[in-house]
Amino acid sequence: MLVGTASFLVVRLGLSYLALPATGVRGILTQEAIDHEQAVTEAGIVYQPVDLAERLSVSADLSGTDRKTVLYSNGRSHGAIRVEQVVGLIDVERKDCFPLPLQFQRDERCWFGGMMFYQDQLALILNPSWALGELADAATVLIGKAKQTVEATPAAIGGSC
Amino acid sequence: MLRATREEQQVQTTKRSWNIVVFSVGGLKLAARIEDVGEVLPWAATIPIPSRTPFVQAMLKRDNCVMPVYDLAARLRRLVQGNPLLCLVARHVDGPMAICIDADVPTIAKADAASIRPSFERDIESLGSVTIGGNDVTIVALQRLGSAIQDTLTRYEL
Repeated sequence: MLVGTASFLVVRLGLSYLALPATGVRGILTQEAIDHEQAVTEAGIVYQPVDLAERLSVSADLSGTDRKTVLYSNGRSHGAIRVEQVVGLIDVERKDCFPLPLQFQRDERCWFGGMMFYQDQLALILNPSWALGELADAATVLIGKAKQTVEATPAAIGGSC
Repeated sequence: MLRATREEQQVQTTKRSWNIVVFSVGGLKLAARIEDVGEVLPWAATIPIPSRTPFVQAMLKRDNCVMPVYDLAARLRRLVQGNPLLCLVARHVDGPMAICIDADVPTIAKADAASIRPSFERDIESLGSVTIGGNDVTIVALQRLGSAIQDTLTRYEL
């Protein structure tokens, strides 16, 4: 990875393109490899099933032939994230990541760390800690503080990744 | 006492009247201060965004820029009318925000400040209302659109 860039695995759930920081990706399993309802054990680590579509209230077809399970870890928590499609792995210059607009004021500020363009699509950068269930939806904490939070982060001055 | 210069007189005149943009959403005439409107463009396909912010659930992409979409029609429980639909870019306090409006091309009008009445419209953030063509037209406070509903939700949660 080049200095000033960040790597992401871009996946699709329904109409939403989501970018997972690539450093946490531990593997990608095909549909035949696993029972999607069960935890996955790989190299002695148990990855608990993560239903992102349900948590994001996104309509997704997880029965298609392109569906995959992304094994993801941040070192503390481990999740098997079901996605409709793995789109690709990309390096993005940090200046090309930008924050979620301030008009988005509720749980989504906890879900997404920012956004970027990928092949003319808008990809939302997932917050791994939230995706792995470490953070509750913190809407009430964020409401009213969203502006200060965003203004205080590097995201506001270029780069959300 | 000093007499006002011509420039000062012009400023005072400006303050006595408002330039407003009159547009419609689902057939309902609305207005906005002209300085709160960035531009009016053809509507384009939007990108759905998972979100729990009321009426902010999509983004509009133009070239390499995106802006959030405020679904004013849904808030007013109306369906936008006509074809092609138009996009009114609001100068919201948090940044530009796209609003889908009816195909009727907005018009510009001048409203005497004295003729602007307090609005009792509770469904939307407003700066007052004015009579245009015999109709009572709410002047939408585009800069703070969405804030009232957000405040209500916050109070409810706290």
